[in-house]
Amino acid sequence: MKKIFFIGGLLIAALGGSVLPALALDGVIVIANEGVPASSLTSAALKDIYTAKTTYWDGGQNIIIAVVPDKTDAGLQQASGMDASSFKTFWQRLAFSGRGQQPKKADDPAALVALVAATKGAIALVPADTAVAGVKTIAVN
Amino acid sequence: MKKIDPKQTATMLVTAALGLCAANSASAYELHPFGTNSPAVDFHGFASQGFLYSSKYNYLADNTTDGSFKFSEAGLNASMNPFPRTRITAQAFTFNVGDVGQYDVVLDYCLAEYTFSDKFGVRAGRIRRPAGIYNSIQDIDLARTSVLLPQGVYDARWRDFSSTIDGGEFFGSFSLGKGGSLAYEVYAGVINMADNGGVARNLQDGLPPAPIGSYDSINQCQIYGSQLWWNTPVNGLRFGVSGGLIPDFGYKFAVTPPFGPGPIHTEYEIPFGQASAEYLWKAWTFQAEYYTYNVSGNQFITGNIPITSSDTRTEAWYASAAYRVNKWLEVGTYYTESYANTKKSTDFTQYQKDAALSLRFDLRDWWIFKVEGHYIHGTGLLQDSQHNPSQNDKGWFMLAVKTTVSF
Repeated sequence: MKKIFFIGGLLIAALGGSVLPALALDGVIVIANEGVPASSLTSAALKDIYTAKTTYWDGGQNIIIAVVPDKTDAGLQQASGMDASSFKTFWQRLAFSGRGQQPKKADDPAALVALVAATKGAIALVPADTAVAGVKTIAVN
Repeated sequence: MKKIDPKQTATMLVTAALGLCAANSASAYELHPFGTNSPAVDFHGFASQGFLYSSKYNYLADNTTDGSFKFSEAGLNASMNPFPRTRITAQAFTFNVGDVGQYDVVLDYCLAEYTFSDKFGVRAGRIRRPAGIYNSIQDIDLARTSVLLPQGVYDARWRDFSSTIDGGEFFGSFSLGKGGSLAYEVYAGVINMADNGGVARNLQDGLPPAPIGSYDSINQCQIYGSQLWWNTPVNGLRFGVSGGLIPDFGYKFAVTPPFGPGPIHTEYEIPFGQASAEYLWKAWTFQAEYYTYNVSGNQFITGNIPITSSDTRTEAWYASAAYRVNKWLEVGTYYTESYANTKKSTDFTQYQKDAALSLRFDLRDWWIFKVEGHYIHGTGLLQDSQHNPSQNDKGWFMLAVKTTVSF
């Protein structure tokens, strides 16, 4: 069975699967609550956060992802490797099985910035032209 | 001091969930019970109502040939991080599938979790058991395209047996560099089966009718196992294997003399395993899983004298594809086969083959609606023989409709 899966995986990769590319966040920036200890993240570390592999910042504060539906879908795809629908389902699966905490939602980019500013441990993607007072900008490299 | 009734408390929580859903809420509710600077408690919930209709047999519910609304689920969960790297969470849940569940409100999970690092964490309490893609979320309608999961792998009536355990698990994930990453969960605990649960009802269904046959009780059996996921370097592609052992599954019943020997008890060992593959590619989701378990052991009469032995292997598999057409429509299909006894794989009463086509409509962020058609061959998963006294090898149809609200 494992052999079948392995061969299947290779076939899928050959037919069009994308082996993890370097992360480029077009049109969005990463912001975080000012109490978050990190000032930069590698693209792999950012993906680990958005795929629930990393759930705490250094120091133990829990990471809270905040999202604004429809405004950052392309960036979300780049950060998580999932489209917006799959990302939502992924976190619903974790939350309703007791394995994680669903992302918090904001209605628009300004509200998202305010949410991140007010929420300890919060991180978010916002459109690059958003005014980002009261939060820190996280460099992704 | 008045004693707190856990069932009453859970009922109130689920009622609150339904009320919040009905209020068209799309967001989580958050409370700061110990002041505005204290850790927040997040609440999420959902409620589902389904309808089942079948052309020939009564399947899942007892009267689906007439159409049945006995297909409901609701849950409300709360979680908080009271200390660094620590999370506590609990969910109240109620469901009804035919005569199983019967809207009893149960504490679905209730656990404390400590994450030492990405590589190692611990959960303890009542936890959802990890197995394959869907076991820990098998009753969460939001989290999939289809109404009914492939029932040979994820039987909706058996959730008290398969879904949760009282115990604990270790979990974590490791980077494999260019090879992707590996995530693991290793668990051990006890299964709390209900006398009105799906497994107990299946056992009762196999007994001679009363007053000749009578069901007594089912064991709270041990279980231990693990789940491993390899997240490959191909974006969105992962493979999983899981397996474990139930060493002491047993139940008690009686067959009245002269038709039988009187009280009988059973002792079975059940090893189980599952292999999974999932690929998210653009708007597509592809999944395939294989599941098998073996039941071997004896029946004993008074004095621990063995009277019969059995050794039966069950297996099931499915392959599915789903396509997200746009923000409000997803189309999915799967084909699945299950064999209750692999030694009788050509007996239509022992297998069930099912081709399904599903439409999922995301009407709002908080409201989904699904409709699904099945063409089924075989009757291996019907279980309720008293509701299906006459069976043949002809194919039959089933319609499943479900709507879910959540916040």
